[in-house]
Amino acid sequence: MRVTHEQSDSAAKSCVAVLNERFSGSGIKSTVEHHSNAFKMPFVRIHAEPQHWLAIAKFMKYDLFVNYCSMVTGTHFPDGPAERGWEVAYHMMRMPVSNVKPNTNTIHVAEKLSGNDIPLEFEVLIALQQGDTPTVPSIQSIWVGADWNEKETWDLVGINFEGHENMHRVLNPHDSPEQFHPLQKQHKLRYHGHNEMYDDPQGFGRKPADEGRNK
Amino acid sequence: MSNDGENFAAFNSRALVEMVGDVTDEALKATKIKQFLGVLAGRYFNWAGRKSLFTLHLGIKCCAIEMAAAATPRFDGDRFGVLFRSSPRQSDVLLVNGPVSKKFADKIVRLWEQMPEPKYCIAMGECAISGGPYFQSYNILEGVDTVIPVDVYIPGCPPRPEALIDGFGLLREKIIRIGGAPSTGRDGEKPVIVGED
Amino acid sequence: MTHGLWTLRVKVDGETIVDTDAELGYIHRGVEKICEDRDFTQITPYCDRLCYVSAMTWANSYIYAAEDLLEAEVPERAEFIRLISAELQRLASHLMWLGAFGPDIGSLTLMTWCMRDREMFLDLLQELGGSRMHYNYPRIGGVKRDIPVGFATRMIAKIKLFERRIEEYEMLLDESTIWLVRLQGVGYTKAEDMVEAGVSGPNVRAAGVNYDVRWAHPYSVYDQVDWEPAVEKPTSVKGADCYDRYRVRMEEMRQSSKMILDAIEKIPGGKNTNYSAGDEMIMTKAPTRAPEGATGFSNYECTRGASQFYIKGGGEGRGKNPYRLSIRSPMFITIPYVAKTMIGYKIADIPAIMGSFDPCIGETDR
Repeated sequence: MRVTHEQSDSAAKSCVAVLNERFSGSGIKSTVEHHSNAFKMPFVRIHAEPQHWLAIAKFMKYDLFVNYCSMVTGTHFPDGPAERGWEVAYHMMRMPVSNVKPNTNTIHVAEKLSGNDIPLEFEVLIALQQGDTPTVPSIQSIWVGADWNEKETWDLVGINFEGHENMHRVLNPHDSPEQFHPLQKQHKLRYHGHNEMYDDPQGFGRKPADEGRNK
Repeated sequence: MSNDGENFAAFNSRALVEMVGDVTDEALKATKIKQFLGVLAGRYFNWAGRKSLFTLHLGIKCCAIEMAAAATPRFDGDRFGVLFRSSPRQSDVLLVNGPVSKKFADKIVRLWEQMPEPKYCIAMGECAISGGPYFQSYNILEGVDTVIPVDVYIPGCPPRPEALIDGFGLLREKIIRIGGAPSTGRDGEKPVIVGED
Repeated sequence: MTHGLWTLRVKVDGETIVDTDAELGYIHRGVEKICEDRDFTQITPYCDRLCYVSAMTWANSYIYAAEDLLEAEVPERAEFIRLISAELQRLASHLMWLGAFGPDIGSLTLMTWCMRDREMFLDLLQELGGSRMHYNYPRIGGVKRDIPVGFATRMIAKIKLFERRIEEYEMLLDESTIWLVRLQGVGYTKAEDMVEAGVSGPNVRAAGVNYDVRWAHPYSVYDQVDWEPAVEKPTSVKGADCYDRYRVRMEEMRQSSKMILDAIEKIPGGKNTNYSAGDEMIMTKAPTRAPEGATGFSNYECTRGASQFYIKGGGEGRGKNPYRLSIRSPMFITIPYVAKTMIGYKIADIPAIMGSFDPCIGETDR
């Protein structure tokens, strides 16, 4: 059993039609794309502007029933065009789920799903201007799953999420230097021109100044 | 009272014990029995220590799964006396089995410093030896020997459990040589690498 | 030890947990940055080492994204072999989970039993990939080598033995009062809350919803083998507890066994033939460069949830390297969620709840 092409195609087309009807004419473009692998399943790709992002996100959650924000990817294009110095890619998923009564379970039969129950993938691409402070509104209040994804994107890439509460380093050490976001292109790999974070090359031992600090 | 106390000073228990101790010590030194007992006790503790190496139950990354497999019925490290302890205060061997990141670096040094002498360190796997496949990473140390003195290196990614048991065997041979030398005084000792014969 | 290296800070009031805070990043290796300097074929070993307990599924997940990016075709026999290798890895991973979960609850017997049975599957995977862990087996366009001669016979014998072993485990555990008391009634999670937080995989299926990426966003040949997602019926209105999550993984082991036995019979080219490496039955020549602007995305059912890769082409070497490789790990989303689930329970319930969600920090920290 699997979700068929016809189901996915019709679901994607109806989502795109609804999106285009609601958000047309403001630089937002929604299309149905297909993967290039064996199954060529369709998904919905939305190009959006940062100022409209919150409105689109709320629409996706409440009218298109997109369940969760799966992945947030930030990319740095230092050599890109002026309007695409940074790009944030959100991947969201829609799937049919509801709480079950005790001692029962919900078995979806893929071929019988229809309408808003058909699982679908959404990809939202937001291009940001060249510069040092890329900023995107935060969707932490809309989807719970976006919380730690945004923390990680800020930690590694340096994209600021406006309105995100309690932003902190999640993968790098807490005392990383302030503007150090490793996945930006000016930071290189070791042996390819890398500058170590600390002053002495391998001095990671505990120094007297580190007493009582949470590293 | 004080006058009477001085008269009985010779029978005051603490002074008596010290006097007896000094006399016995001089006697043993003169007859070389003390040296003989010292060597015997040293050999005995060395034998006991190397036959039951308590390893810290620390698992960092993939090599930890092979460390766990070495403790399971097929490979069975326990028959060699290798037992895993949860506290560094009770273990002899720190088995570093994964890459050491900058966040974890001073914690692993702290674990090492908490272990009582004599203690040994085994670097298991490529990541602990030299950074492994992540040697270019911004967050990984190039080997745990930049922060801790290592006695045995076990190459592999991950090394098979047999290689780990062999590493423990080579560590036992090294302990016969160096005895209970403290970990800071082993600079002249060449570290052992599993597989180089 | 076998779950991974992370810190959970717990604020307690007596014995009851009031607040939790998870701290990750102790084995952050910067894999995403390193992969920007590697060819597409050189990235496969890095993906093996992401979640080291289920290496084959992560390598497959990356390969599907790379094939999406490079627009490569895959022959059907290779897809069947990938399915068999992924399901064997799923069995080995669930056995590792059970072998680590048992000591969490206090049953050291489970550790020895499960690791003994896991060795059976590691031997099979070693025949395919060459090593007990970290196989570097799938290639863009197929697989590295075909299944060896006699592999099918050995595999079928071991799986038939294993199906009886699953019953042995259930006999040991379901009649043990300690197991039941420590797992039932602990760590309730509801399906909608979990999905909104981004949890997927067996943890959601324990709450009664059969969401599985293998049918919802299909890939490979899962629609040609006979299987069903393993779904539990939670007994409480509060959702799934640890006992349901344990049961769903036992059921998944049964389904994986069924899938493997079915797939090995249906494999095109027969189960006893062995094609040489590079033969067109198991691998097609794939392009090695990706132009700028091309992207690849894969959604894959790993043992712990839905893992996704997003690759942007156009990197160095005129497109031989990716420009940006982004990895979505199911556990990175689940661990903060589980840290919040623990509020209200006792300290002694922490290993039960954490273990039942099957964390693997290798993929969380990347």
